[in-house]
Amino acid sequence: MIKASRDIFLLLIRSTPAFFISCASLTLENVNFGWPVESALTVSEKNTIDDVRYGLTCNVASLAVEEFQDTSALKGKILRVLRNPQGYYFVTGAGFNYVYVFGPGEGTLSLHKSISMGNTEKDEPVRLADPALNQRPPNVELLDGKLRHLLSPDGIIENEDGGSK
Amino acid sequence: MKHLTLIALLNWTLAFSQQSDLETKTSFEAAYRSIATEIDAATSQEQLDSLQGSIDALEARYAEHRAFLDRALHPETFTEKIEKLRALHGLTSERVYLIQSQGITISEYEARLASLTQRLDSLTSDRDWLFAELRESKKSLADLRQKMRTLSKSLEARDRLLFALTDSIFLPYDKNLTQTTEIQKEAVVRKLLKSNVVARVYDIASDNVKFLEVTQVQPSDYASMFEQQQQFKSKWMGLREKMNAVALASSSPMEEAPSGSMKSAGKGGSKPRKGADSAATLEPVGHVDAVIDEWEKKLRTSFWKGLEQEFSSKHVSLQPFQDGQSFAMSVFEYVDSAKTGGRDVFVFVNDIWKDRIDKHWRPALEKDFILGKQNFATLDKAISELDEKKFDMKFILYILAAAVIGLGGWWFFTQRKRPPKIQQA
Repeated sequence: MIKASRDIFLLLIRSTPAFFISCASLTLENVNFGWPVESALTVSEKNTIDDVRYGLTCNVASLAVEEFQDTSALKGKILRVLRNPQGYYFVTGAGFNYVYVFGPGEGTLSLHKSISMGNTEKDEPVRLADPALNQRPPNVELLDGKLRHLLSPDGIIENEDGGSK
Repeated sequence: MKHLTLIALLNWTLAFSQQSDLETKTSFEAAYRSIATEIDAATSQEQLDSLQGSIDALEARYAEHRAFLDRALHPETFTEKIEKLRALHGLTSERVYLIQSQGITISEYEARLASLTQRLDSLTSDRDWLFAELRESKKSLADLRQKMRTLSKSLEARDRLLFALTDSIFLPYDKNLTQTTEIQKEAVVRKLLKSNVVARVYDIASDNVKFLEVTQVQPSDYASMFEQQQQFKSKWMGLREKMNAVALASSSPMEEAPSGSMKSAGKGGSKPRKGADSAATLEPVGHVDAVIDEWEKKLRTSFWKGLEQEFSSKHVSLQPFQDGQSFAMSVFEYVDSAKTGGRDVFVFVNDIWKDRIDKHWRPALEKDFILGKQNFATLDKAISELDEKKFDMKFILYILAAAVIGLGGWWFFTQRKRPPKIQQA
């Protein structure tokens, strides 16, 4: 009796790892989502942007409200979009105070962080004039005239002077 | 100058491209397109040499962004783009060399064409003058005929020369016109315009129409005249097809022009028309088709009319005919009626068919598009049989007559020479 119980116990012990492996979701590692170059996308009359090369389409009305408090503020304007290696979308444009970082969801892009370009300590808002996003793995570089920031999904890593924030 | 602008553009974009990746990509693409367009439009080796430098400069300036451009220019790479540009440069160099070498041939043809045109103008004046003289009976017919022959030869020479000229224009592209580039096709259009080809074709066809109007063509000349007309028409159709191909490619359709709009390339026509190089349209071809049709119609009318006169001048009446089929029917009808009606066919068979038709009209009649060899042979056989039949009947008649005369003579002489019979007591 004791021997039979011990056998059952050993069988359960041995089959446990296989049970847990089969229940776990399949994961592929070392994925690089980064686009080699940013996309400059014009906002349509329907408030949408469409990137044919990377297959990205979305409505930006809520972004217009967030940045300009006006749903139609972005119509006809150009948005700069760049996806970093981790899969976050960096979005900004001329006249923006922020670089918006979105994470992908099911049929959505959810705001992960809005990175202010102004000096938050001195409360000096800075509007971007003609920004550009460059892929600088693992980070993203923001350029606007003389302004240069190295960005991560969580904020500014390095400013134009080489200092960190 | 364009190259300087291009280099300046490269410098300017480079300054910005050091910062923005997108600008690096777009400025590279813009510079690439600009160089490619200039290569495609290049017409001289000097331009191409300069563009070779531009390609080298482009490659050198963007070399530091090679890794980035390899990804950004997907599915092509930076290296593939530069190689593509160099390949285009190589092809264009080959094409420019061909066009330049053909250009020399064209200028030679042009000079010869101009000389012949001048001679033709002079001969045309002679022709008018001779025709007037003939009407006044001042010159002999033989002399006029000699002049006409010269004029005819001159027309043929001009015809040959013109198509040699067009062949030389198309020569570099003849293998496959559909695979030539837009710029190459535009170069052909420019050369066709410069050479005034359509107007020249029109003039040659028109001169031939005039020639038929003022000339009494000899029966033996028709064969070569038909041959010339058919060859000219066939060459024109070939040229027209090629011209349509290049016109379609260069978006310059050869639209129909209003009546009378065709400009003559006659006196002074060998010079290119003003603005021909800038105008990307070819002359209308509808008028050329019309005048070639008129030439063919007049030639055929003159031929059948002349043939009919051979019969009517000797008072042999055939049913009217205007083509090979109706001519054959008329002759067969005449032969049948001669057989059944016992008509004297000596003039028809010997004077007309054997002496005139067979000797002088046969080469033209044997052309497939006129009557054809087989049909002519059938007619000839039917007429020969008619002749044999009549000959047999006459022969029998002669034998009978001779026999009657012989018998009569024999009876006469035997009656006279017979000695009187002596009655014995």
